[in-house]
Amino acid sequence: MSVPAATAEPRWVRWLLIAVALGFLALNLALPLAAVFVEAFRKGVAAYVAAIRDPDALSALRLTLTVAAIAVPLNIVIGLAASWAIAKFDFRFKPFLVTLIDLPFSVSPVVSGLVYVLVFGMQGWFGEWLRDNDLQVIFAVPGLVLATIFITFPFVARELLPLMEEQGRDEEEAALSLGASGLSTFWHVTLPNVRWGLLYGVLLCNARAMGEFGAVSVVSGHIRGKTNTMPLHIEILYNEYNFAAAFAVASLLAGLALVTLVLKSALEWRFAGQLAGRGH
Amino acid sequence: MSVTATGVIKTFGDYTALSNVSLEAREGEFLALLGPSGSGKTTLLRILAGLEFPDAGQILIGGEDMAGRPARDRRVGFVFQQYALFRHMTVADNIGFGLTVRPRGSRPATREIARRVAELLELVQLPDLGRRYPAQLSGGQRQRVALARALAVEPRILLLDEPFGALDAKVRKDLRRWLREVHDRTGLTSIFVTHDQDEALDLADRVVVMDHGCIEQIDTPEALWDRPASAFVCDFLGGANRVAAIASDGIIDVGGIRLPNHAPALQDGPVTGFIRPHEFSLAAPGSPGIPVTIRRCLRTGAQAALETETHDGAIIEVTLSEPPAGLVPGLTQVLVPTAIRAYPV
Repeated sequence: MSVPAATAEPRWVRWLLIAVALGFLALNLALPLAAVFVEAFRKGVAAYVAAIRDPDALSALRLTLTVAAIAVPLNIVIGLAASWAIAKFDFRFKPFLVTLIDLPFSVSPVVSGLVYVLVFGMQGWFGEWLRDNDLQVIFAVPGLVLATIFITFPFVARELLPLMEEQGRDEEEAALSLGASGLSTFWHVTLPNVRWGLLYGVLLCNARAMGEFGAVSVVSGHIRGKTNTMPLHIEILYNEYNFAAAFAVASLLAGLALVTLVLKSALEWRFAGQLAGRGH
Repeated sequence: MSVTATGVIKTFGDYTALSNVSLEAREGEFLALLGPSGSGKTTLLRILAGLEFPDAGQILIGGEDMAGRPARDRRVGFVFQQYALFRHMTVADNIGFGLTVRPRGSRPATREIARRVAELLELVQLPDLGRRYPAQLSGGQRQRVALARALAVEPRILLLDEPFGALDAKVRKDLRRWLREVHDRTGLTSIFVTHDQDEALDLADRVVVMDHGCIEQIDTPEALWDRPASAFVCDFLGGANRVAAIASDGIIDVGGIRLPNHAPALQDGPVTGFIRPHEFSLAAPGSPGIPVTIRRCLRTGAQAALETETHDGAIIEVTLSEPPAGLVPGLTQVLVPTAIRAYPV
């Protein structure tokens, strides 16, 4: 008779655990996701295409992609800089900076949006100056970008920090003692060591940047065809009882998220060896 | 190239890592920094490399002042305790790194770098492993790669931080001998940090013994062993038994046995004596010396190792080269010391 491994649970326990997990996922994730697509096509393919080809919908799609295209690269740079500073250098206000990075996660998105209105709005601190210089931040693209950067800031930094801290400074010091400059140390040593964490952080950051609702809703002003991102456009359609169109656009947004996930899985599969740290 | 440190002070907040340390490594010398953890030996090594900067004091490498000179301009080879190999690069890329990152003007051609890498792989006896990744190597192989990488940039001096710290005993011994060979062949002034006294005494031309951020003694292994300058050094070199004794006119009295002192002169009065296990002979109970009870007796060939206990419960280890018969646990004997090193209490 073979001796069971120490961690081997009875068969029924394993099945129960798997069933609970799968059931929960099906009920809370798969079912709603399926519902989005079912509802989107309820009135037929023609209605779906019409809803998507609506100029306001296309404008919302364009705006969402634009905001993500600006916010994500900026957050890569800021996130890299912050986690690099925290993990590789010692300075006085380090714990404070670490706490600050988590702030966007702990503050309600509505509050973050309001803060920007208070600072950059017409009645805000810089309102007068902005008006005099003919600049508009709130109810315009810059406000949307700012709010999105704020909300999605932690994704890259949070992903990189533990990784960089675990890797320590030895390799950077080795590079310096071998004559490498600070920049080439970063480029040849630090960055390649965190590339997978960085990729993961970027994908998460991007998914959230495209899907953000609360903060963006406050600073957007909901001007159709101008400052409506996809999530905002979906809400408007839904509130107008235009369900088919709302779900059609929603399916597009969900589609973008799925593409992101597939991309991540594909990369993980392709580079499984490197991810495991075994080189090949 | 010679290395000189003068009056080096380094503090981390309230903690003093180095208080006024001065030493010199001569051209081509193999120097060991020996001390317990927290003695400041690694900090000193990192300061020499330019990875830390001292609060005060001067570092000269080949007569040049290193003040304000960052690590990358010092041409110092540094081998890290945990190897610090670049995990995403092959062994060959690791070794070639220092040459590859040189500015365009002084960078050797790709073929020249490859030739140099092959040469170094040969030197560290890993000629076929250039295309492996660090994670695919054993600890000893990684350490060799780390050394090859440090040598690739033709450093002026070589610094090694606990080079054998993470290796098992057998690999340690082999690598130790091999490192000494590499040193003798390259003639590089080398300084290595260790907490293992055997390693320091076995390998180095001279040993710097450190404790609490101060240098206790700098000497050749022989001198260190024969004439430890302080109780700390004598204790740290290991194996010596600590006994209470009385000094008067340079003569040390242990339980009625009077011996000349093998350590620096000291004032009359109570002192701490150190006696090594082989510096004892046995006498019958009642004779002058240290009365003990034998706790354990281990015979290996002609030798015997005894663990004995004094009346105060102190343990004294004794090695006898010609042990008498009938040494059994529980037997009472008198230990007669034949040599002693005494230091102030």
